[in-house]
Amino acid sequence: MTDQIREQMSALLDGELPQDQIGLLVRRMERDTELKRAFGSYVLIGETLRAPGGTTASHGFATRVQAILADGNTAPPAALDPHTGRRLGWLKPAAAVVVAAGTAFAAVLLMRPGDPPGGVATVAQVDEGSSAIADFAADDSASPTPAQSQRLAGYLVAHSQFATPIGRRNVWTSVLAQDPGIARVAYETAEGL
Amino acid sequence: MRLARPAFALSLVAALCPAANATPDEARTWLERMSEALATREYDGLFTHSNLRQSETMRIVHRMEGRNSVERLVSLDGSGREIVRTPREVHAYLPDRRVVLVEPRTDGGSLLKALPTPGAELDAQYLLEARSGSRLLGRDVRVIEIRPRDAYRYGYRLWLDEKTAMPLRSEICDQAGRAVERIQFSKLDMHTNMPASETEPSVDASGFRWVRSARPVADRRVAATGWRPLKVPPGFRLVGSRVQSLPGNPMPVQHLVFSDGFASVSVFIEPGSRSAPAPAEASRMGAASTFTTTVRGYMITAVGEVPPTTVRDIATSLAPASDVGATAPPAR
Repeated sequence: MTDQIREQMSALLDGELPQDQIGLLVRRMERDTELKRAFGSYVLIGETLRAPGGTTASHGFATRVQAILADGNTAPPAALDPHTGRRLGWLKPAAAVVVAAGTAFAAVLLMRPGDPPGGVATVAQVDEGSSAIADFAADDSASPTPAQSQRLAGYLVAHSQFATPIGRRNVWTSVLAQDPGIARVAYETAEGL
Repeated sequence: MRLARPAFALSLVAALCPAANATPDEARTWLERMSEALATREYDGLFTHSNLRQSETMRIVHRMEGRNSVERLVSLDGSGREIVRTPREVHAYLPDRRVVLVEPRTDGGSLLKALPTPGAELDAQYLLEARSGSRLLGRDVRVIEIRPRDAYRYGYRLWLDEKTAMPLRSEICDQAGRAVERIQFSKLDMHTNMPASETEPSVDASGFRWVRSARPVADRRVAATGWRPLKVPPGFRLVGSRVQSLPGNPMPVQHLVFSDGFASVSVFIEPGSRSAPAPAEASRMGAASTFTTTVRGYMITAVGEVPPTTVRDIATSLAPASDVGATAPPAR
């Protein structure tokens, strides 16, 4: 991956990529699996850094971050300055290593010892009018089999045709969400009633 | 160092100003405008879909072929999964499973027409509010709040473009107002005469298994057994029922649709395994909840963009129509 591509992905996440370059980059990502995977890593780390304070990492999060860091070619593209809230933008490679290491440390700090997997978590306010994202209690001890996942995906696709347009979009995003998009619910704690 | 985004500064200004709240009628009008825009405008957008467990960037393309809409949603940074909705079918490409699920499109079907549109009946289940908001993507926005009156449904917080009524950001919230899922656009372009190539799938599906719905065949076990709810959560009502086949499922299933006027829940009923019944199980996929249980040898699965309790209560409330003294609804 070239520095130019990294710069473009950084700018895309910052919302600063010129319109004429967005289409080209998106088409490239659609074709290039490696680029797609790397972009996912950036988004994951960026989301982490955008949630300072009060955050509990979900189950498996530290493992995912470690896996990303183990790739060795991943630099967080859209880190936020913890004091100003401004995006730091792309960092030079040497600094990127430092930030990446810091991310791993942050992931360790964010995992509260003794928290149940996928336990209820809170995230700091994102911005005006927007609320914290709440997690749901999940039982990750027994993931659905591929056949079960496919059956549920089929149900959701069929259901989406009877949802409102905004509901259909939400259902579709659920189907597209990468694993572990499907999580079994620990029912007693999930219902919260 | 880059400067802070203008939207951030503007949001601070907006936070210091009293919001101009409007009536539920105005909120309903905005919802109708939004639904119309989503269904009839041509657009190409990039958005981040996030909950606390994961975050993915997706692209959505929507164009019109005459009066039919064609839509494509693709995950750019995750599984590479993709959904394309053509005038005739819905294709779900699952490259991680090397499978394409194919479902006939059912627009215009009697079941879809039975769904209620956002109307005054929503007031019984939701509190609606419209207020001015800050700018997003350089556009003035209107914020629509749809707050649930109980814990059986989710609320929505929508940031709509004042000009086009397109949602630039949306959140699904629980009764306490906490977002459980967020969609945030980083780019949204409106188009006219968008080329058909933009809605072509990017997945090379050669070698994939195409799993199509079998041709509907009357099955005595399903067709002869109408199912009815004994009790459903407040506000939900049965709005339709049909027998259909699903991709990869050799047996036809009965499909019931429940709605409260905004949220909907589908229930699929199919003959279960003849061996011991599987234990009930609940899952979540994003904001969608599912619950599967076995009743009298039938596997009942409820799915919908509602809290887990709602799908559980609906699924466990179903019984053969003969038990509740009702006539089975006709198969469609």
